[in-house]
Amino acid sequence: MGLRNHQKSVSLLVETASFLVVRLGRTYLALPAEGVRGVLTQEEAGSEQAVTSAGTIYQAVDLVRSLSLTADLSGFEMRTVLYTSGRSHGAIQVEQVVGLTDIERKDCLPLPLQFRGDERKWFGGMMVYQDVLVLIVNPAWVLGELAEVVSVSDREPQRIVTSSAMSIGGTC
Amino acid sequence: MLRAARGQQRTQAAKRSWSVLVFSVGGKRLAARTEDVGGVAPWVESIPVPSRTPFVQAMLKRGNQVMPVYDLAAQLNCRLQGDLLLCLVARHIDGPLAICIDADMPSLETVDATAIRPNANGDADMLGAVTIGGNEVAIVALQRLGRAKPDAVRG
Repeated sequence: MGLRNHQKSVSLLVETASFLVVRLGRTYLALPAEGVRGVLTQEEAGSEQAVTSAGTIYQAVDLVRSLSLTADLSGFEMRTVLYTSGRSHGAIQVEQVVGLTDIERKDCLPLPLQFRGDERKWFGGMMVYQDVLVLIVNPAWVLGELAEVVSVSDREPQRIVTSSAMSIGGTC
Repeated sequence: MLRAARGQQRTQAAKRSWSVLVFSVGGKRLAARTEDVGGVAPWVESIPVPSRTPFVQAMLKRGNQVMPVYDLAAQLNCRLQGDLLLCLVARHIDGPLAICIDADMPSLETVDATAIRPNANGDADMLGAVTIGGNEVAIVALQRLGRAKPDAVRG
């Protein structure tokens, strides 16, 4: 019985992925939930660029600028998401935290092939959440680790998939 | 044998003619091969997507189907006309692609293949041009739209 339970939980891990869905202007983004270390209000985050929490320094990540978005980060729903990959840590300001969701991997869709530019590095895929299209952000890019991932994958094509999948939380 | 010969004649005639859908973008008359068209439907609001791919910066969600949007009006440097815009779904080589077109209802035409003139300006997004109703109409290469741009292949 114990074994059966164990198998069931492993199967669930393989088939579903958890995401924190956030909003920046009209754009909805999903961050693989395993990297989320906290969600702070403006008051809790303070006015400094970097946020220190539990002894870890989270450097400010400006997604609005990086993605050329228009967002209002002065509203009362604005939050700072503390995010980590284990070795890099970022404090991401978002206009709204929409929710946490588990979705089946089959519902993670790749970015259509017609998108051929840098956005393929920015997003690991997309999904539909509460009837809204959500872009799954690649945490390695958000945390500025992508150059390293790319340099490794350039030398060893087989590792592209491994590195990318790991860096986006093994999502899609 | 006679029947077979007639069938062959019909096939050859079909080869000599193209069935095209004529539509307009910003008042400019354009055409596309009917086999490259997946359908025409009312336009619904698109969802902006951060992107560096020229003219591909949004997606359209219709029910469970999500498809990228190609901004043909921006490429042609014109503004869409009409209140109730339409969505032309292209059978693009990379998957369905939505294009917002003018509210004018598209029409079907058959054109003689020999009447199609090759591109004078070498635009890879156009298959050629043909005269329909006295107007020069460019035939859009829906299947490969956006693929020819060298600056779009980065990343």
